[in-house]
Amino acid sequence: MRCFSVASVDSVIIYFGQDIGESVAKEVRESFYALKDAKLKYVIEIVPSYTSIMISYDYLKTSYKQICKDIDEVLNHAEEFSHDMTTRSISIPVYYGSEVGLDLEDLAKMKNLTVEEIISLHVKKEYFVYAIGFSPGFPYMGEVDEVLATPRLANPRAKVPKGSVGIADNQTAIYPQLSPGGWQILGRTPIDMFDTSYDGFSYLKVGDRVKFRPISKDEFIELGGEL
Amino acid sequence: MMGGFEVLSAGIQATIQDLGRIGLAEIGVSSAGALDEFAFHHANRLLDNQYGTNMLEIVFGGVKLKAKGSTTFVLTGAKVDVTINGKAIEIWKTYKINDGDIINLGFATSGTRVYLAVKDGFKIEEEYGSCSVSIKEKIGGKPLYVKQFLPFTCKKLRDNRKLVNKYQPNYDKLLKLRVVAGYQWDMFEVKEREKFFNSSYKVTGQNDRMGYRLSGEKIASTCKGIVSEPIAYGSVQIPAHGEPIVLLKERQTIGGYPKIGAVIPVDCFKLAQTKQDSEVEFELISLDEARVINKKFYKIFKEF
Repeated sequence: MRCFSVASVDSVIIYFGQDIGESVAKEVRESFYALKDAKLKYVIEIVPSYTSIMISYDYLKTSYKQICKDIDEVLNHAEEFSHDMTTRSISIPVYYGSEVGLDLEDLAKMKNLTVEEIISLHVKKEYFVYAIGFSPGFPYMGEVDEVLATPRLANPRAKVPKGSVGIADNQTAIYPQLSPGGWQILGRTPIDMFDTSYDGFSYLKVGDRVKFRPISKDEFIELGGEL
Repeated sequence: MMGGFEVLSAGIQATIQDLGRIGLAEIGVSSAGALDEFAFHHANRLLDNQYGTNMLEIVFGGVKLKAKGSTTFVLTGAKVDVTINGKAIEIWKTYKINDGDIINLGFATSGTRVYLAVKDGFKIEEEYGSCSVSIKEKIGGKPLYVKQFLPFTCKKLRDNRKLVNKYQPNYDKLLKLRVVAGYQWDMFEVKEREKFFNSSYKVTGQNDRMGYRLSGEKIASTCKGIVSEPIAYGSVQIPAHGEPIVLLKERQTIGGYPKIGAVIPVDCFKLAQTKQDSEVEFELISLDEARVINKKFYKIFKEF
């Protein structure tokens, strides 16, 4: 099911489903790369998210009707466009110390678990990168174990340190830079999420599979992490 | 020959802006770029600059610059008292500036953003394809600071070129923000839509390059929350508190609040010149009307 809708005078949004899930995510990803490969005339930006893709276009030169037709055509033939769909498996080192895992203890209390159990719940699962957004290089990943899943903080922090690894509901993410935020923080990674030296600037890409690897404080510092 | 401006006072917030960085929204980078393109494009047009040449976007004024070398420059946008070496000059009009001259901006009496452009723009390196400063993302450098040097190539152009008074905007008029329906439009019941289009809203103090939060009649949607999705320029978000937020060029790329539609670009430009307590109203127009209005605007500045 594909549903086209106006987003603004210069953008169309295509919905591939209503609920977050891997099959919709797969369709989003396939469509996203097919649209990128197609290099459609007048297309300016293609932005994927969990269940949708937004396309901004030069509305001075083409119309909503025409661009929808062009996009639909590409998507109907999405399978014919071959592109590398192998999923990358990426391991991200995280230091889960109490001085960086700002919400670890509160979470443990809330769930009646030990801090170690909280960490192992976060580490044991492999996560799928659904979208990169909110801020440069910020990966939205899912799904977190249902025992661990927790809503955002009632009072968001004014400053969440760079590299912070957090959860919100059944999603997990990494803050690429110091910024305000309401996710529950479990630890910190020394890896830069956004850098000019990376191909495509973002460390993670939509469709990557991510596992978190617990590291010691020493290793965190050695890898360039800052406390 | 290279010249430039030495910054003596940096004002409240001034940033270099062009038309923003395109193609990186897929990794979470906002486009940024000049908020009021009317003042922006006219400044470049008055200087015979290439379309989209960078310039300073100054919030409220308060900036003081000392010239090194000579060039031609222009100020457009918010109404502000400006002097060169203590002598008053006009905005929307080009002037020659010579070595050692001091440009001093007072504070805006009408409108919010002043644009200061020089012939051929400032010689600043692009980052990710644009010179635009994205404050929140820390991309494209920092906002203007004292002792900063803004280099330009010394050039002179015919000065005293002016945008005729009757074409200069009046920022104190009641602003009608024209909206195209979109996104979760269907999740707003008819009576809620009527409320939205028949009330007037006030600009709150929470307004910046990311977006403008408005206060007034609260709007409810039948939506229980949406899956985070990409956000278009001008999107009108209605969070749970029911008051609209219009998202501009430094908006987050993805968000999870329902949206009733999007304000058309030419009206986003005007919104960026309003200040706290300014009144605005929304008006529904069709997609075709929106295209015609925006085309008419861009026809003055570029070929398409």
